[in-house]
Amino acid sequence: MKDIIRVKCLLSSDVETLLNQQIKKEAHSSAIYLSMASWCNRNGYDFSADYFFKQAEEERQHQLKIYKYVLDMGGTSISPDITNIKLEYNSFREVFEDALDQEISVTQSLKNIAARCQKEQDFITLEFLNWFFREQREEEFKARRALELFEVIGEEGTGRWQIDKHVGQIVYSSEA
Amino acid sequence: MQQTVSLPKINFTEVFSTKNGAIYQSDSEGCWYIDFAGKLARFDYRNLLKLKKAVYQIDIEDLLLNSDKSADLEIIFICACDHCYVLSLLQIIKLKDLLQGTFTMLELNHIIFDRLHRIIS
Ligand SMILES: [Fe+2]
Ligand SMILES: [Fe+2]
Repeated sequence: MKDIIRVKCLLSSDVETLLNQQIKKEAHSSAIYLSMASWCNRNGYDFSADYFFKQAEEERQHQLKIYKYVLDMGGTSISPDITNIKLEYNSFREVFEDALDQEISVTQSLKNIAARCQKEQDFITLEFLNWFFREQREEEFKARRALELFEVIGEEGTGRWQIDKHVGQIVYSSEA
Repeated sequence: MQQTVSLPKINFTEVFSTKNGAIYQSDSEGCWYIDFAGKLARFDYRNLLKLKKAVYQIDIEDLLLNSDKSADLEIIFICACDHCYVLSLLQIIKLKDLLQGTFTMLELNHIIFDRLHRIIS
């Protein structure tokens, strides 16, 4: 008896499901960043707004990357619906705290997929995920550095104005 | 699983059967035939997965507990597929049983292919 399902699709149904969940997670991240950009803009933090617009765009690209991978491997990618996006933040700092939390949870969920791939020896998806792990290094670094500005510069006086100006200048330059 | 039934023209391999129905695979056509609820229906790869999803999604417990549901019938309609099933609760349970057995056998067949045929040859 032929192994028809494997001929049609490289992904196991479990890995396919996890990748679709990740597609949703990236779309969710993108929507959150877009909302943060809105909040920052409305409250006069122009550089941070730009920073979050860029982040939103990046998350959208992450979503598409997985979306196309699932299709290329013969699977079914599902366009997610995203709801419940926070509109208001209590403070400038809270925006960056949420951003870091979001990145940490993305890293965690990618680790979970990789663990599954390892278990079923899906080295192809595992190798695909490597790009995302590299990306998470940068994403977490930037989010953490941004939050640290609040400690380094301090929020008193023109602090928040200074912080906003520096957010756009954070770069991750590790070659390792 | 390896018992082959010869019908005119097409060769079927029985994947899984219960006393309520059976699912056969046709290697030459690359599809499956489901013998259930008094009919033999052909499913290709996409439609078989859609059927699986549709059946697995039905909340059997909810149907059992919800006595105010007027009809005890569920319609399983699959987009872009010629077949649809109108099933009673009991039949849904039986179909789910049949599908679960089938996918377990297909998974087993896949493992055998990966571990045996694909490595040696
Ligand atoms: Fe991302
Ligand atoms: Fe990110």
